[in-house]
Parts: sequence; structure tokens; C-alpha cells
Amino acid sequence: MKQWWWKLLAATLVLAASIAALRVPIASAIVHAEPSTLRPGERHEVLFTGYNTRFAPGEVEAYLENGGQFVPAGRVDVIDSTHARMHVFVPAGLREDMSDLIVIAAGSGSMRFTDAIHNPVKGSGAEENAQSTVPRGKRDGYAFPTRSLLYESIRNLNFHVPMWFTMMMLQTVALVLSIRVLRSGAELHDRGAAAAVQVSLLFAVLGLVTGSIWARATWGGWWTSDAKLNGAAVTTLIYLAYLVLRGSVADHAKRARLAAIYNVFAYVLMLLFIMALPRLNDSLHPGNGGNPAFSQYDLDDSLRPVFYAAVLGWMGIGAWLLDLRYRLARIEIRHEDARIR
Amino acid sequence: MKMRAFAKHLILMTLLFGPASAMAQGEPDWLVDKLYGSGKINTVIAVVSVILLGLFFWLYRQDRRIARMEKHGKE
Repeated sequence: MKQWWWKLLAATLVLAASIAALRVPIASAIVHAEPSTLRPGERHEVLFTGYNTRFAPGEVEAYLENGGQFVPAGRVDVIDSTHARMHVFVPAGLREDMSDLIVIAAGSGSMRFTDAIHNPVKGSGAEENAQSTVPRGKRDGYAFPTRSLLYESIRNLNFHVPMWFTMMMLQTVALVLSIRVLRSGAELHDRGAAAAVQVSLLFAVLGLVTGSIWARATWGGWWTSDAKLNGAAVTTLIYLAYLVLRGSVADHAKRARLAAIYNVFAYVLMLLFIMALPRLNDSLHPGNGGNPAFSQYDLDDSLRPVFYAAVLGWMGIGAWLLDLRYRLARIEIRHEDARIR
Repeated sequence: MKMRAFAKHLILMTLLFGPASAMAQGEPDWLVDKLYGSGKINTVIAVVSVILLGLFFWLYRQDRRIARMEKHGKE
């Protein structure tokens, strides 16, 4: 039990995080409005489409927001649970040429569709039919945010990203073991470092493949020339080369030292390619291109608990795989020694 | 021997994924259609499946390693 608790904890975390990642609903949102251009000073009908909404007759309010002024809909006709038509008189003199559409529906709270409507004529403020506040709707329960392009695939955050965190954790373990090899020359540490790199490569490949699938569904290509993608691929190759280099030296003591030196460089390159360069270049990944990762804009608060549980859990699973691999390596050494004797 | 296994792998992969990437330029093919359908939930299913397959593959590799050691131990 003493050695088992963290493995049990890791498995529980991954299980709980995976269930939550798959089952937490995606927040309702407005994803489409038609027509998208409304001439001020005229009466209009706008058909809007909700995502995961439950529109019910008499329970939907709609407003246009333009430069702090709210234009209420005269009437909202609910067509079905995700479609409704608003009848609105757009006053002359709107300040901005883009209006947000705000829909308040029972259970969904207030949903804002930013820059939904284009108003071709600008003025100094609505002359009539505008108010300065709207009622705040209440949202039911816990939900992941709805992001255009992502939709349900936002759940992948809890699967794809922990792969990379786990890879980096394992490579950090490999670095520590390699430094210990350089200080002591112990073969066991060399085996441990190799085991950590091997397991980290499993997670690197999983990260690359899952990322590729996600990229196809959101960015439109299996592979884009994104700084982070290419950096991750190069990192994977660098660590593959570590295994090749280590495998090509027959003398055990020489092999341990050479592999350890290479591994220190590989780690630095990994940090450079995954953490540093993508921030200096434009990247499709959130948190890159100059911004620190996990800024308030990139990771919604509702995603955090599940995401952190997934990261911790997968790191634990990674450590468990490493533990198995390391123990196997130890047995192998013992077998080799027995054969030599 | 290992080289041949690798080549076999490569051919299999090309057969599996070659047509999909060739069609990606024109009309959306069935794969893309599936990935985009119903709020892109199938993307999540694909990602989870890949992770599970990866772990199973790793288990299989360790199984083979242990089997090899067991064989050596008997000699």
C-alpha cells in the first residue's frame, strides 16, 4: 500500500478528469445571426441560431448592444430550441458600426454574440428605442465555454495538453538522472534516464498525433507550419536521436557518459523549441506569440479544475510507466551480470 | 528484419492515410465530415482513442520485453 498510493491517486485523477472532460456540458451560446447587416432607422427581422440552447416561447429576450446602448427587440418568435427570430427597430444614430447580439434565455443566462451585426451608418448615439442596461440572465450549472471553431473539441484540452506536460516531466527526470550519471558514472542512472526518455517519447508521439487530429478539425490541416508544432516535432526527433546515440555505443561506461552529455543539451533544446521559440513567433496555439501561457483570456476558469486534475493524473501515469520501465531495466542489468559471471 | 517490418508499416500507413490527405484539397471527404460533425465531438473520440491505443501499444511492448527476459532466464 505504501508504494501504491500515488499510482491509485493518478488512476483516480485520470478517470475522474476524463469523465468530467467528456460529460461536462458545453455552455450555450449564439453562433449565427442572419442577416448580418442592419440599416439604422428601419425595422428588421433577425434569425439567430443558438448552440446547446433551450429556447422556449416567452422566455427569450434579445438586444443589440452598440457602444454601451442596448436596443431591445420588439418581439422574439421562438422557432425551435435553437432558432428564434427577433423583430427589432434599429434606431438611427448608432455610435459604432458593429453591434453585439445579446440573447437572454431561461437556463442559458445572457449570451453575447460579439460583432454579430453591421450597422452601415454611424452617428452620435441612438435617438430612440435604446436603454442603458439589460437584465442579467442566470446560467444553470457548470459548463465549459463555447468557442467558435472549437465547440465540443474544447474537451481535447484535457487529453492533448497533459500529454505534453507528462513528456516534459519525464524529460526533467531524465535530465536529473543524466546529471547524476555525470557526477557518479553509475550505470543504473543511465538506464533510468534512458527509460524516462523512452516513456517521454510515448507521450510525445501521443501529443503529436492527438494534436494533429485536433488541428484538422479546428485549423483545417493535419499539420500547419506553426512554431509550436514544428518545435514539438524537432524535440521528438532530438530525443529519438538520444536513443539512437545511446544504442550505438557498446562500452557501457562510455555510453552512459556520452548519453548523459547529449541529454543535457537535448533538454535545453526542448525548452527552447517548446517553451521559448513559439512565444517569439506567431503561433496558432493559445498563449503564444508574445503572451504568457494560461492568461485569463486563454484558459477559462471553468476549464481549470478538470484540466489541472488531468495534468496531475497523467503525470502520475507517466511516473508509473517510468517506474515499471526502470524496474525492468534493473532486472535486465542483474540478468546481464549473472550471464557474465 | 527490422527494416522490413518498418517498410511494411510505412506501406500500411500510406494505404490508410494516403487517400484521405489526397482528397482533403477538394470536397470534404468522409473523414473530415466525421471530424466536423455534431459539434466536433468525434474529434474528441478520435483523440481519446489514440491515447488508449498508444497505452495499449506500450503495454504490448513491455509484455514482449518481459517475455524475452523470461526466455533468457531459462537458458
